[in-house]
Amino acid sequence: MLLKIAKTTALIALTVSALNAADFNAQAEKDRIALVKYFEAKFEDPLKNRNTFFPYSTDDELKNNIMGGLKKDDFSIGNYAYSKNGRASYDEIKEFPPTEEWIEVGEELYNKKFANGNSFANCFANPAETGAAYPMFDEKRKEVITLTVAINECLTNNGEKKWGTSKGKMAHLQSYFAASATEEEKVIDVKIESPEAAVAYEDGKEYYYSQKGYLKLNCANCHVQGAGQRVRNESLSQLLGQTSHFPVYRLKWGAKKTENGLGTLERRMSGCIKDQGQVPPSNTSKEMRNLLFFMAYMNNGMKFDGPDFRK
Amino acid sequence: MKKLINLTIAATAALALTTSLHAMDEKKDCDVKANGITKVIATANVYNEQAKKKGLEFRRLNVNNSDLIIAVEEAIKTGAKEVNPMHFKGKKKSKTKLETTYAAERACRFAIAALTQAKEAKTTWRLAVPGDGYKY
Repeated sequence: MLLKIAKTTALIALTVSALNAADFNAQAEKDRIALVKYFEAKFEDPLKNRNTFFPYSTDDELKNNIMGGLKKDDFSIGNYAYSKNGRASYDEIKEFPPTEEWIEVGEELYNKKFANGNSFANCFANPAETGAAYPMFDEKRKEVITLTVAINECLTNNGEKKWGTSKGKMAHLQSYFAASATEEEKVIDVKIESPEAAVAYEDGKEYYYSQKGYLKLNCANCHVQGAGQRVRNESLSQLLGQTSHFPVYRLKWGAKKTENGLGTLERRMSGCIKDQGQVPPSNTSKEMRNLLFFMAYMNNGMKFDGPDFRK
Repeated sequence: MKKLINLTIAATAALALTTSLHAMDEKKDCDVKANGITKVIATANVYNEQAKKKGLEFRRLNVNNSDLIIAVEEAIKTGAKEVNPMHFKGKKKSKTKLETTYAAERACRFAIAALTQAKEAKTTWRLAVPGDGYKY
């Protein structure tokens, strides 16, 4: 009898906790589904839906460049998902991707011993799981931890100096983790399992959608409502799929020094916020972490495909 | 001398207090002709400090608004007609060159706009969210 009561109590506790866990991400899940629905509708038939989604695009762009019939998983490759011209160059470069040598450098860094005899393997036992685990909400610390933060904590915990958070070694090591996650076909699975995690998500969401800088733009002006449109000769990428392929090798970043060509997601976001006309938050600030947490959640269910390259 | 220092402190404190209390108005507060360049740049300074604390400071063409303010303050001291603020990285001058009065007005407008648009965004940001305020 006592055992029966104990079992029932445990079952109720488990159910309640499962229900609560589901509740904490309810809003985020609603947002994600709405975002997927929006992009699928937008790119279903761009020419037919021009009045709703592409009022400023030319006939030529809509007929000959912007592809239609796209589904959620197609969006993981940024603007190459819909731009025929961009995709042609992308496929060509993909034959000999500029990321290869940096993945190898990253692997060397992963295995290199620290002065105390440990290595990154002591902090991150499984490179593929590491590549797929961040950003995550640490329930003990009650804050978002990004891969960049975790790598630097591993270094300092082992008596080493922190690395820069935008490029160089940081990006090279992250490319090794990303390549491992891609190889094992890991899927983005950001979890929101507490009220604090839900608050971090909402903070990031508000940051993304709030207008800022002297241009008074929010991120969505370009990457939700503006996605698929052209600014000068650049096609704007969509929020869906924006975090799945980092770190990224940008031809622009690598123009002067190829070792600087690979950059972290923080580097890209920082550049984007600067382009809005605002001093960006630091790469390890709460604002930046929550922003990446929100963005990553929007990509839940998509496969990792990093490291990748962009113009 | 002591009196002068006290007077300056009191004036800055009073300005800080009044700027924090009255409704911000870019056009009115940043008008150099009406207020004088010293008052305009002092206003810029007060509001820009608030913007910085909130992570809202503007940056244009690699120039942080605080560096523009510093450049104007220096120009007021030296009487320079043109300012050439520092690059945000702090190691060299930027490519930006502006007429001093115009720079003061811009610095002031940037400082106020950073705060007013953030306040405005608190009620408008959801309008951009698909599935929430954004309809298509």
